Amino acid sequence: MRILKGNPVSRGIALGKVYIYKAFKADVHESYFEAGREDEFFKKYQDAVKIAENELNSIVASMEEESPEKAKIFTAHIEILMDEEVEEGVQEMIYDNRTMPDYAVDEIYTAFANLLEKAKDPLIAARAADLRDVRNRVLRILKGEKESNLANLRENVIVVAHDLLPSDTATMDRNRVMGIITEVGGATSHTAILARGYKIPALLGVADATEIMSNGDNVIMDALAGKVLLEPEKKTIKEYQDKLVEYIKEESETSEYLDKIPLIASGERYSIGLNIGGTDPDESFKYADFVGLFRTEFLYMGSEHMPTEQEQFDAYRRVLSNAMGNPVTLRTLDIGGDKTLRYMVLPKEDNPFLGNRALRLCLDHIDMFKTQLRAALRASAFGPLQIMFPMVGTIDDIRAAKAVVEEVKQELREKGIAFDEKINIGIMIEIPSIGLIADLAAKEVDFASVGTNDLTQYLHAVDRMNPAITEYFQSMSPSMFRILGRIFAEFNKASKPISVCGELAGDHLGALVMFGLGLRKFSMNAANIGRVKRTLSLFTLEETENIAKKVQSLSTQAEVIAYVKAAVEKRS
Amino acid sequence: MYSRKTELKNASGLHARPASEFVALAKTFESKVTVRRLDDEAALPANAKSIIKILAQGLSVGTPIEITADGIDEVEAAEKLFALIETKFGED
Repeated sequence: MRILKGNPVSRGIALGKVYIYKAFKADVHESYFEAGREDEFFKKYQDAVKIAENELNSIVASMEEESPEKAKIFTAHIEILMDEEVEEGVQEMIYDNRTMPDYAVDEIYTAFANLLEKAKDPLIAARAADLRDVRNRVLRILKGEKESNLANLRENVIVVAHDLLPSDTATMDRNRVMGIITEVGGATSHTAILARGYKIPALLGVADATEIMSNGDNVIMDALAGKVLLEPEKKTIKEYQDKLVEYIKEESETSEYLDKIPLIASGERYSIGLNIGGTDPDESFKYADFVGLFRTEFLYMGSEHMPTEQEQFDAYRRVLSNAMGNPVTLRTLDIGGDKTLRYMVLPKEDNPFLGNRALRLCLDHIDMFKTQLRAALRASAFGPLQIMFPMVGTIDDIRAAKAVVEEVKQELREKGIAFDEKINIGIMIEIPSIGLIADLAAKEVDFASVGTNDLTQYLHAVDRMNPAITEYFQSMSPSMFRILGRIFAEFNKASKPISVCGELAGDHLGALVMFGLGLRKFSMNAANIGRVKRTLSLFTLEETENIAKKVQSLSTQAEVIAYVKAAVEKRS
Repeated sequence: MYSRKTELKNASGLHARPASEFVALAKTFESKVTVRRLDDEAALPANAKSIIKILAQGLSVGTPIEITADGIDEVEAAEKLFALIETKFGED
């Protein structure tokens, strides 16, 4: 059994047969015609535009009623088709250079698509796909070929394609398409947005998918974990049939909780935070009260050079605008050891997780650290941004990091650059040594957030990257809940905000116990919001406190999980 | 030639629907109409009758712009497009 990996942009599971979809592929060569035929060839272009307009009008008409949102995509295509700069460009190439119409169309549209792709706003850059779509339509008509699409499928299939254009996804027969796999595309692409809208599982960026798979292949598509399983064994199929049923059941039970106000059964309000690692706008921002963890590594790891202050500033502002006025917690760079950068040479370490990483590395590379802080402080003038340091082990670490912040603030003041003078500065609690002196740490910071993955790793002395010892990695152990209870209590006593942004906050069982321990701010991946809200809505404050008390007296993680699970199951 | 200066006031800027409405209105005039952003000295005037050119400007909320019209109905063109920007396109 072979496994391919991809980016799950629309969640779900699908089992079925592969259908390789090859859209019309324009085969255009640079070519010219002899003098005197200019009018004839320009007329050919105008006729093609007319046919394209008719095709688009009939798509709009057929969609307007059922899905006006999707019809808008094609209305936009008509605008592009009729754009006077496009027409002028094509006309000029035909009359001045005697360029064949197909080559002229290809040149002009491609140039404009490239122009849009350079736009800073990802929503505008994504419009380049629309231009390519319209270009292909005109080129196909010029070739005299009929419209081909995914509207008439004979059986249920998983569509595999290099890329799907907006017109492919929008006209697609969604009763027959069980899943979508493409070789290219990101989370804000049209394919991703439409797939989420239709609730069709989608995995994008699966390298060489159309080469590796063929028509009729049986595959399992796991758009929860981000993988495709080719020619799976009977045992695996059975396992996934169960997973599918479980997933559908859970989705229908939890999705209605997504937009509910986060309240427990006795009426206490808590906050839901979102963990993000990019600048894509996402519908889930509206279900959250704050961004509890904004990871900034993507800026560094996705780049060929150290990201500039301006690049970072632009990205931070974009996230603030996505968050629609809610606070955003920016975590400063968390790399080193296992996560390295192409353009920065770091010495190899024997114990990277105990090594020169995160804040330690930043304090060691002060220019890099200051650049990020300057970008963050400048962005703080545009919205409620707060800064959080990872990998803090001592009060010395906190003071050292804050001193750098003060230095950067002073530099900005001297240059007259605006920033939020009252910006909140906080820490991640993920090293037990700082958790045990939470009362002292609370005096030094404005807030803290617990990273339960690293806290588990350091508390239990388990390398979480080592597959041989996964059973020793116990986030729900009695020792974890004892230290968590202590951290929450100390921060609550000091009236300083405390949140959890590790996986445990997104685990509904973990969230339930932590509520009982005094936690009121839970930050998680969007996918977990519905389930956590649902489980917490089933219990009163007193009940959560009793569960938390009981859990700390149990001896093993297995006992804890069995006990909490039973408590939840009894309610559902 | 006639110009009006303003800045974008609607939250989503000149994207999507507002951009379409702006271009559609520009097309109803005979004059040549352009939009130029004033916060970037290197920015060239963009044809206001081309949706692609307008989108490519990436005009977001707060961007200062200059609308220039040149032709027989230039005053009306620049004033009407200016007035459309001021409506905030029905946002907020």
